Amino acid sequence: MDSEDRMEMTQLEFGRCRSWPHSQDYCITCGLCSSACPVSGVDGFDPRKMIRMISFGLDDDLVVSRWPWICTMCGKCEHVCPMEIHIADAVRNVRSLRPRADVPGVLHKGLEAALDTGNNLRLPREDFIFILEDVAEELAEEEGYGDFKVPIDKKGARLLTTIHNKLVNTHTDDLKHWWKIFHAAQEDWTVASENWEGTSWGYFTGDNEAMKVMAGRIIEQMERLEIDTLLWPE
Amino acid sequence: MTVFDLLIDYIQSGRIHLDKFRFTQPTAYHDPCNYGRKAQMRFGHGFFEEPRWILSQCMKDWRELHPTRMDQVCCGGGGGTLTTGYNDERIFYGRKKMDQIKGTGARMLVVPCHSCHGQLNNIKEHYDMDALQVKYLWELVADCLVL
Repeated sequence: MDSEDRMEMTQLEFGRCRSWPHSQDYCITCGLCSSACPVSGVDGFDPRKMIRMISFGLDDDLVVSRWPWICTMCGKCEHVCPMEIHIADAVRNVRSLRPRADVPGVLHKGLEAALDTGNNLRLPREDFIFILEDVAEELAEEEGYGDFKVPIDKKGARLLTTIHNKLVNTHTDDLKHWWKIFHAAQEDWTVASENWEGTSWGYFTGDNEAMKVMAGRIIEQMERLEIDTLLWPE
Repeated sequence: MTVFDLLIDYIQSGRIHLDKFRFTQPTAYHDPCNYGRKAQMRFGHGFFEEPRWILSQCMKDWRELHPTRMDQVCCGGGGGTLTTGYNDERIFYGRKKMDQIKGTGARMLVVPCHSCHGQLNNIKEHYDMDALQVKYLWELVADCLVL
């Protein structure tokens, strides 16, 4: 081959995606992923295109697009992929490259609130306790739950449970389901008055450091209250 | 521990007792992606049998969606899509799940996931399924408690 006909090798550098460990370069473009995806076609998205763009280093176009955010990372594409490409993780990695101020909707705002205050709502400790005790009083009016009390910060309890923020916001009645079960089982349980947040939106925004912080705080509550068992329904 | 392990422990050890005859309407179960397929792919165990066993302690009869387990269809509410603001896309995403539910004739759908619960309750009116009751698995257990 004449030296002038040689391929320009720099075209194959593929930028920052080169080192991603999702096997994206093994894609055989069969399209099974796109056929399996419930949201293929929306806004021109499909998982095969996305994987090929990552493989070719066209990640800048992906980072600014809606595609990684309309995908739910459900993993159906990955389940049918004959090359075992980690498509859902690749999507999450693309999400992580979006400047935090440009993360859509309230996802990063909620996460910032959680990192600042311990929960997505910036709900102060006294308001949280007020809501729990208010709902507990309601439950105590139901037949069979007359002596129900919500044990907050109970040291040495057997079980610590986290709380999804919507249960102390718009869906307080849904607190009662687990409480009824604990009551019937005579469980020795508690909830922490701080860092009780069960959601971890770093999972959605691709922010591993934030996930570590949120998980670490739950462990801190277990240590503070000397509890061995965690129920994390979120 | 997971919600499933704790509920199974309570039921098997006799710490709680459940009445199997309170709910008789046609009911189906939905596998959340993270408890099912993704748990299987990432951690080597998908929680498929556990919720079904719990459901069977609460009701004599319930129905499977099709396809299910590893092949189930996402409801469209995962990955934070309830909070991104891309609502038209999210509602459209749920059409296959709603077709599945319609196909079983279910009037109650049991889910063990906050995101699935929020999504299905949110989109049902867009698919003429306002009457569909979406229930947390632990809500069903609480409703079946014999005190």
